[in-house]
Amino acid sequence: MSPFAAVLRKDLRLELRGGNSTLSLVALSLMVMAVMVFTQAEAKSHDAESAAAAIWIAMVFSGVIGATRVLTAERENGCIRGLLLCPIDPAGLYAAKLCAAFIFMAIAEAAAMLMMVLFFNLDFGVPLLRTAPILMLGALGFAAAATLLAAISSRTRAGDMILPILAVPIYVPALIAGVRATAAALGGAPMGAIAQWLKIMVAFDILLVTAGCLLFEYAARED
Amino acid sequence: MNRNIRTIVAAATFILMIAALFMVFDYAPTEADQGIVQRIFYFHVPCAWVAFASFGIAALSGILYLWLGDRIWDDLEYAAAETGMVFCTLVLVTGSLWAKPIWGTWWTWDSRLTTTFILWLMYGGYMMMRASADDTAQTARFGAVIAIVAAADVPVVIASVRLWRTIHPAVIVTKEGGHGLEDPRMVAALLVSLAAFTALYGWLLMLRFAQLRARTRLGALAREIALAYAAAGDD
Amino acid sequence: MEHLGFLFAAYAIIFSVIFVYVVFLWRRQAALDAEVSALEARLHALKDAASKSEASPRPK
Repeated sequence: MSPFAAVLRKDLRLELRGGNSTLSLVALSLMVMAVMVFTQAEAKSHDAESAAAAIWIAMVFSGVIGATRVLTAERENGCIRGLLLCPIDPAGLYAAKLCAAFIFMAIAEAAAMLMMVLFFNLDFGVPLLRTAPILMLGALGFAAAATLLAAISSRTRAGDMILPILAVPIYVPALIAGVRATAAALGGAPMGAIAQWLKIMVAFDILLVTAGCLLFEYAARED
Repeated sequence: MNRNIRTIVAAATFILMIAALFMVFDYAPTEADQGIVQRIFYFHVPCAWVAFASFGIAALSGILYLWLGDRIWDDLEYAAAETGMVFCTLVLVTGSLWAKPIWGTWWTWDSRLTTTFILWLMYGGYMMMRASADDTAQTARFGAVIAIVAAADVPVVIASVRLWRTIHPAVIVTKEGGHGLEDPRMVAALLVSLAAFTALYGWLLMLRFAQLRARTRLGALAREIALAYAAAGDD
Repeated sequence: MEHLGFLFAAYAIIFSVIFVYVVFLWRRQAALDAEVSALEARLHALKDAASKSEASPRPK
């Protein structure tokens, strides 16, 4: 079994055996969306803009809060050193952690989509279906950024607090593109109309995954 | 070598600044619509150019540090990030002071200012990370990673913000075509200001860089002394 | 000369910020230079002491 698959299997197995990461992400998403609803002056039914904003805010905030926990399971007992001593390509290690984070986020996103439909009174239909690839692209980009940056933030004195400060500005292009695309899709626009936003998201994802593969060893190496 | 170059750059900065002040306040004509407030532009734009260029310098230094391992590149990167942040702050402040009298709001989300604001946030994140970690090779590596990723991200930021602003244009249409300066005297004033600010930035960068080098040397010296003490104690 | 206040504020802030930054750099630099000189002197003193004790070997 390749090292990549081994690490990925380990993370997924840890999660299945009661890791609670995905559950935490779902719960956090729910909290953030609830806050958004409660802070609005009037209940916004069928409002594509509010719904899109809510689900993306939920993704970003639950992502930054949950990312550190999800991605630094090896922090205790110096396990990361053990992992890096294995004959595993650092890029492969990064890819494995990225996949695990993405899977957890994707599941949380699916749950968040359901909440979004309920909270904002949307319809189950093609427009909703169109938002799925947009959200997945967003989750991939966020997981890519968070996996790289959490390796750094978890080892500074400021700790988890610094992750949102680092990750959010870097994530902005995907966020802007994602919200605009989601709002347009929910409003009934066809895929062609949102293609330009999708291009930006794809470019962002490629950029971050590449950067992560190249730079992860510098972020994770300990001396 | 460094001291002499620094002195030359300092002198050049002084001369160019005086020249720029003359060009901006005396030579360039007053703009028809905006009045004298438009003259903020002549310092606002060079600050933006310097802020973005500095970011690039920091990222390149980061790459060199990760590749070559010599702390000198980390020192240059940190100096560039810090100096760049100073100028980035100036862009936002002068932009605000320009926006208020012309458009009545302290801030406008036009594509250039928004991108500069995101750049400022990235600088801020970098500085906070460096400040909250000890001065070790590990921290230097972290800094390099952040600088590289952030700089690589900037083109995507620019593209997304621009698209955002064209689909949903800001209520206030801005100085986008701002460099459509009609009068060649204005162009001349801008160019002199650009030169002056580049020289100023170069001088400040060199000063901060020299300082960080000294601090690194200090660390190395302290270690040598500790070793020498240990060796002397063996007799 | 409308909005002169804003123009003045912008330039005043630019020069103030730069001035403050230069002062900050200046003071840091002076302190650093002093520390470096002190450490170098210490190191030389140590090396002299070490070479003196080599030149006049102690009885074993």
